[in-house]
Amino acid sequence: MKFGKLAVMATAMTLLASGVSLAGEVVWWTPNFNEARARELVTRFERANQGIKVKLEITTTDGLPQRVLTALQSGAAPDIIDVQHAWVNGYAQNGLVLPVDDVLKDRDDYIPASLDYNTWNGKLWAIPYRIETHAVIFNKGEFKKAGLDPSKPPQTWDELVAAAKALSKDKVSGFAITGGGEVGNTIFRSLPFIWMNGGDIISADGKKAVVNQPPAVAAVKFYTDFFKNKQSPASTLENDGTANRRLFIAETVAAYQSGQFDIASIRKENPKIDIGVMQIPHPPGKPTAAILGGWSFVVPKSAKNPDEAKKLVAFLAEAPNQGALTDTFPARKSAMSLPRFSDPILGVFKEMLPFGRAVPNNKNWVQITQAYFDGIQRILLGDEDVQTAMDGAAEEIQALLDQK
Amino acid sequence: MDRNSTGLVFVLPALIVLAMLIAYPVAYTGLLSVTDRQGEFVGLNNFRAVLAARATPQAFWNTIWFVGGSIVFQVLLGTATAILLNQSFVGRGIVRSITLIPWVVPGIVAATTWAWMFHTEFGIINYMLTGPGIMPEPIGWLTNRDTVMPVLIAINVWKLFPFVAIMVLAGLQSIPNDLYEAARVDGANFWQEVYHIMIPQVRSVIVAVTLLLVIWGLNSITIIYAITRGGPANRTLITPIQIFRLAFESTQFNQAAALSVMFFAVALIIVIIYIKALAATPGEAK
Repeated sequence: MKFGKLAVMATAMTLLASGVSLAGEVVWWTPNFNEARARELVTRFERANQGIKVKLEITTTDGLPQRVLTALQSGAAPDIIDVQHAWVNGYAQNGLVLPVDDVLKDRDDYIPASLDYNTWNGKLWAIPYRIETHAVIFNKGEFKKAGLDPSKPPQTWDELVAAAKALSKDKVSGFAITGGGEVGNTIFRSLPFIWMNGGDIISADGKKAVVNQPPAVAAVKFYTDFFKNKQSPASTLENDGTANRRLFIAETVAAYQSGQFDIASIRKENPKIDIGVMQIPHPPGKPTAAILGGWSFVVPKSAKNPDEAKKLVAFLAEAPNQGALTDTFPARKSAMSLPRFSDPILGVFKEMLPFGRAVPNNKNWVQITQAYFDGIQRILLGDEDVQTAMDGAAEEIQALLDQK
Repeated sequence: MDRNSTGLVFVLPALIVLAMLIAYPVAYTGLLSVTDRQGEFVGLNNFRAVLAARATPQAFWNTIWFVGGSIVFQVLLGTATAILLNQSFVGRGIVRSITLIPWVVPGIVAATTWAWMFHTEFGIINYMLTGPGIMPEPIGWLTNRDTVMPVLIAINVWKLFPFVAIMVLAGLQSIPNDLYEAARVDGANFWQEVYHIMIPQVRSVIVAVTLLLVIWGLNSITIIYAITRGGPANRTLITPIQIFRLAFESTQFNQAAALSVMFFAVALIIVIIYIKALAATPGEAK
């Protein structure tokens, strides 16, 4: 009898120690910025679904792609993972996640680009719940000092160049671009300019590198000239989005591209700055553009409780719950009317959403962007001119596209 | 024979563990390098794709430059420090402890701190140089094509020279005092003692330490990855980082495996040449 009890206890301990989830327990990996809101939603879900336990595990964004990939590849994955839209296609193509078409309801309520990201081979592989795009954040005080009207920020490329020139004096840089950090930082900030100008990095059918054609080259020149003409800080080659925000907070940068998540930390760390937001300037007569970013839920193929996991995903995908969980904007239009999205400073970010596009679904996208980014850095280093650098990038990208 | 087979039984568990932890990954990497994502045999396609990439030769030369440059200064500085610390002076114990600090600081902490110190806008190094007017303008230490690699080598040297120093110091302390006394009787000065007694006596230590440095250098990712991620424009990309990028950023496990196999071969050749040329010189008093 005593022995039996011991055996039961030992088994229970082993199960606990090895982190094996019990039947009906859904393990959900969500990033730290979601923690408080996720806990609330989990409590509500558990109340409505007796018998399903949800175990939250908190992740951090730094190194998350590697961590998720390792978990998915090893077969010891949780039941739900929060991932960025752009990662989903890689998982789908490698057969690491389950299709979730059966979970999606009200397809028309979603911003289309968010579903585009998660679609491959005619199936949906993740449910988007959070979307965001960049806009340009600027310092209204600096605008006034430079004799510019902060209520009429630049709309076209030429106007932005003129404003950056006027704003750049003493120790202030007029318009900070990124040229360092993780590749994604510079892709998010420079690829929209290429799109606005009618260009792209690769052709729509994914067969040809077009980054060295005139529309793309002109846009890359426009982007990198801010550094060449000393309107972007001397440290541009080591700056990512976070570095630019710090420089903006230190009042040595007058304007830079970023998402709405920067607003809160600017207000907190330097309340003196009067923050303005403008749409990303575009070539005259052409619409603006931005990369649509954000987060989706995936259900790994090796999930132990896929059915319960899908139930939780369906619950989280309901419009009010998306609206509650997201740090930026919800992926569903009907959730956008919630009061928390009505802060006037968010207005421009909201206006940018319809111009948000998905980055191409290509299995070599990370390497393609790396080749492009290396080209940008060669321009910023002064090693090569824009055309030569983009010719080199195009050659590398073409080799990647030609791989089977 | 009987005794032998009993012994074999005793080492078997260890051998199995070794096989699982070392032989299996090595064999699996070899297999990955000649297959595709679906596990089909593709011959040398992965090798061809990796070799065609513009970054590969650049990373190879960067690796040689980084490892070579680091080792020369690590050994020189480390040996000099050891000889200094072997003299008797007041506060020697404290100085010996302080010297060890760079080595015991975790790599990622050291690298991030240095990255901040070298930052163009916020870095203390530029602040100290531009403040009193030594430099008119801040220098982009980590973004200038001519400074970035030397800076990284300097950081790597700073990180590992204490290890060399402590190993060589241990060697120096085992030299019998008779040798010094004999030399002094013959009228040798300090530099002659260094050249004719210390260096020959610790030669085997230096050889072993250098071999370790070669192996660590060829595998070092932390410092460069934390500071520049291989940039700008692949100027500090070394092969281990390229392998990491291919595997964990681009999910090209097969190409990463192909590059690993080639890198392993090159590393093996370097180590063999080194051992043949230096470690096995005959006729040395051990």
